[in-house]
Amino acid sequence: MAAISLLNPKAELARASQALAVNISAAKGIQDVMRTNLGPKGTMKMLVSGAGDIKITKDGNVLLHEMQIQHPTASLIARASTAQDDATGDGTTSTVLLIGELLKQADIYISEGLHPRILTEGFDVARNKVLEVLESIKIPIEAKREDLLDVTRTALKTKVHPSLAEVLTNACVDAVLTIRTPDKPADLHMVEIMEMQHKTSTETALIKGLVMDHGTRHPDMPKRVENAYILTCNISLEYEKTEVNSGFFYKSAEDREKLISAERDFIDQRVKKIVALKKKLCDGTDKNFVVINQKGIDPLSLDAFAKEGIMGLRRAKRRNMERLALACGGIAMNSVDDLTEECLGFAGLVYEHILGEEKYTFVEQCKNPQSVTILIKGPNKHTLAQIKDAVRDGLRAINNAIEDKCVIPGAGAFEIKANLELLKYKDTVKGKARLGIQAYAEALLVIPKTLAINSGYDAQDTIVKLQEESRLSPDPIGLDLSTGEAIKPTDLGIIDNYVVKKQILNSCSVIASNLLLVDEIMRAGMSSLKG
Amino acid sequence: MTTRELLTFQFGHYANYIGAHFWNLQELSFDYTGTVKTEINHDILYREGQTAKGEVTYTPRLLIADLKGSLKTLPETGGLPYEENENEFQWNGVEKIEEPTPPKNEFLLDIDTDGPSVAKQYNFEQDVKTWTDYLYPRLHPRSVNIVRDYVHDDNTECFDILHKGKALWKQDFGEAFTDNIRKYVEECDSMQGFQVNFDCTDGFAGLALSCVEYLADEYTKSILAYPIIPSYFPDNNPTTQEDRDKSNMKDSIRMVNTALSIQELSEYATLFVPLSTGDKGWRKPGSPRKFDYLNYNPELYYHSSALLASAMDTLSQKYRHKSNIYTMSDICADLTGYGRKMAAASLGMPLPINEREYLIDFLNNTTKPIYTCITPSCKIATDKIFQLITVRGVPENYLKAPMKEAKEQMNIPAYRCTSVKEMFELYFQANNFLSATNVTVCDKPLEVKTPFPKFFGSELNKYGFVGSEGDSVKVESCPVVAGYHNGNFLSDMIEKLHREVSRIKFTKLHKFKQEGFESSEYSDSLDRLAEFKDNYEDDFEL
Repeated sequence: MAAISLLNPKAELARASQALAVNISAAKGIQDVMRTNLGPKGTMKMLVSGAGDIKITKDGNVLLHEMQIQHPTASLIARASTAQDDATGDGTTSTVLLIGELLKQADIYISEGLHPRILTEGFDVARNKVLEVLESIKIPIEAKREDLLDVTRTALKTKVHPSLAEVLTNACVDAVLTIRTPDKPADLHMVEIMEMQHKTSTETALIKGLVMDHGTRHPDMPKRVENAYILTCNISLEYEKTEVNSGFFYKSAEDREKLISAERDFIDQRVKKIVALKKKLCDGTDKNFVVINQKGIDPLSLDAFAKEGIMGLRRAKRRNMERLALACGGIAMNSVDDLTEECLGFAGLVYEHILGEEKYTFVEQCKNPQSVTILIKGPNKHTLAQIKDAVRDGLRAINNAIEDKCVIPGAGAFEIKANLELLKYKDTVKGKARLGIQAYAEALLVIPKTLAINSGYDAQDTIVKLQEESRLSPDPIGLDLSTGEAIKPTDLGIIDNYVVKKQILNSCSVIASNLLLVDEIMRAGMSSLKG
Repeated sequence: MTTRELLTFQFGHYANYIGAHFWNLQELSFDYTGTVKTEINHDILYREGQTAKGEVTYTPRLLIADLKGSLKTLPETGGLPYEENENEFQWNGVEKIEEPTPPKNEFLLDIDTDGPSVAKQYNFEQDVKTWTDYLYPRLHPRSVNIVRDYVHDDNTECFDILHKGKALWKQDFGEAFTDNIRKYVEECDSMQGFQVNFDCTDGFAGLALSCVEYLADEYTKSILAYPIIPSYFPDNNPTTQEDRDKSNMKDSIRMVNTALSIQELSEYATLFVPLSTGDKGWRKPGSPRKFDYLNYNPELYYHSSALLASAMDTLSQKYRHKSNIYTMSDICADLTGYGRKMAAASLGMPLPINEREYLIDFLNNTTKPIYTCITPSCKIATDKIFQLITVRGVPENYLKAPMKEAKEQMNIPAYRCTSVKEMFELYFQANNFLSATNVTVCDKPLEVKTPFPKFFGSELNKYGFVGSEGDSVKVESCPVVAGYHNGNFLSDMIEKLHREVSRIKFTKLHKFKQEGFESSEYSDSLDRLAEFKDNYEDDFEL
């Protein structure tokens, strides 16, 4: 009897082979759910809640977050996969598939009596070898537009429809190239993602400037100005009544009003200083003035601005303060005391766009924008959400490629190559560890197999075809999903992120090994193991 | 006077039960005929908007957080036609995974068709499984924020630790949420503050506290927080030893969450008022607070939350009146002298005046306090307190007998009072030694239309006054009194909480430790809670 049973007689136990069976079946289960979504030809999943909320996605990360996974092992795998996404932005589905497949392959040997420890040792050896293969096939790139387009397109096609993927690819690559300063990692926060529920998703576009989700709040303010100075500031232009112990000490409204009327003057002074600067710089020229404030602007202050033809926006997003300074120059001001022309930014065009109750303000034609906006359009919320997830992943893919300074061929080419190399390598290894290598090599094939199945081809046919080609060719060979034939992925521009693959290999091996080595599962909690 | 807008937050399931009643009370009191003079400026709580098709909407300025699976029939978009539902499907292979549609109860079906009928009897006591089951208003698409990482009513991974909420705030959830806050605030011309209602016993406390901290940091507005302890927990009556142990552990966790909430609120909120219909609040909610003439079932959230919603509605009258010059910041300033940011609340519902009795006689003869405390583990003192009282629904003709019939009334000093307000002021002056009282009087009683629970005693007449027994009629409205109270007496409550929490060893709280909460932080928090108590100890007020 296990020690826990002495402590808690109600604790549930699953031991040895039974424990392993639990883990393997869980891994297979989650693999089954996700396998249909892999690759550009994978299907979408549409999740409909009881009240009719819709979510459409094929992004593994989104799916794992949406699904409520009860089984402890499955949720462990799910967490590993979402961690993969957090680290690299892609590869979630692959991780799930690979872990499942590793366990499946291991199961064959274990059922024949092989000790899991030996298998995991084999896995370790195999992983190191595969990482070597990965190093050997990587293709060095520069941060050039064409190279980045390929890698982004490959990533995005697995998330959204091809026609949309093309639009997003261009937008994402141009966005990153605009904000990037050579030799420095790009700060992706400087790409603002703005949603607009309007028109169709293919009208999603890159704006070289900033789009904000609020507008002017005064009827007389200009809605469109050209050649505008932009004052970004974090200064309260809103009269805030000081707290008065009113209830007990003041009998009437007048008493209190008297006390506080003097305080309003303080705010007026600030407004006057801004207006004075505007007069000095703009009067008599064709230039205009825009105030974008992180704090509030009350109606009286708005009124003062409107009279002077100043466009004033209040309650800007905190992060937009930084973005504005990068997009149009200038610095975010915290006081009105030392306002000069140098503090101001400049934009060729600032205009407001109204959609129902939503207002948007576009700040465009900036001189040297180092912050840009990807404006996502779509007819409904779930489309917007889907595109937003895709754009984030696209940006990550670009950033990965720039930081890695290299990419690898996609379309399953790496897995085929690695499989081949492992099988060769296996013969040089002595002892039972080679069984682990064998299992690992087989497991890797799950990626090209699933790609083939999802595109409607026979898995075995395809694998055999690819392996044959690969043996003959010195270059990596992948699968053309539209014809089912072997191709050189680099010719078609099917390129994957290096770091994503590396991360997948590392995390999958570790987790699969850990799960294999579990020989006892116990639970002293509330619900049962039969998840 | 311009509208001084308020933004309301509801974090947690029970807070949403209260919220549903609260917004029902608001929306069902709307007058669409334009003939009734309303006292309340609805624009303070509501906002006007427009759907994509140009239809005008009027929705609460509200942000809600609840767990996945708690909404049942309410779509996350709030139920208004804000979406264009033309699907541009470019996909061939779509796998559809549909959850079963939860059945709508009779009340919700009636809303969808003609609106609920007044005469119809609905069986809410049994039908209400979640707060959306009796929610009358529709919400703005921005309002509902669902926590996806945890599922409602899930025993394997529950959202029971304050720090889980804090962790959640740091992720995408917090970012989306703060964005929604900003959008609401941007619309407002001269906002008066935020009202934050939250369950302080589970992970939502963490969400709410992070939110309060953010608000304090980002906006210089008043923050009035209501940490709420639900009236009942399903594990409150364990039968076996094993259940008892589990329940004990859960009680400990809930209490620690509560204590940490109160400690943190003392740093960031402008004023906060713990609420519960249970008399103790911690370890167990305790026996239900008693209200004469009301028979409510504390095990039904639907019942107990209605009480707290009535209290909130009445208390907030003060800063929502059209004619009134008070704002939330005034109320906070009035109550929170000497760093005493925590106040207690009370509710008297109904104000038990006999239908044939004058107010003057009622106040003269009553021996009990006219209100019941709704702050847990707290007994409102009668002396040396600051209090803000709101009385609603006592007509001026109930004040006193006319001169001719006055008889003995003439001998009561209160007879010289010429208004309800004056009379109540005198009453509190006489009853509360060395205290400062501010009374607000509203003409309109609390209107209790369907789906407000029918928990009124049979002694009450249609207007909520104590009438003849026997002929039970449907109560349509009732006079209510509610108040904020602050004074030395609250140190007792903090003392009790501190003592109870200090008994728990940190090593027992491994669930907190898992979330990265350290033993030293824990003892720090407890020390600061004790320091906060000191604010109530010194005897130099007034």
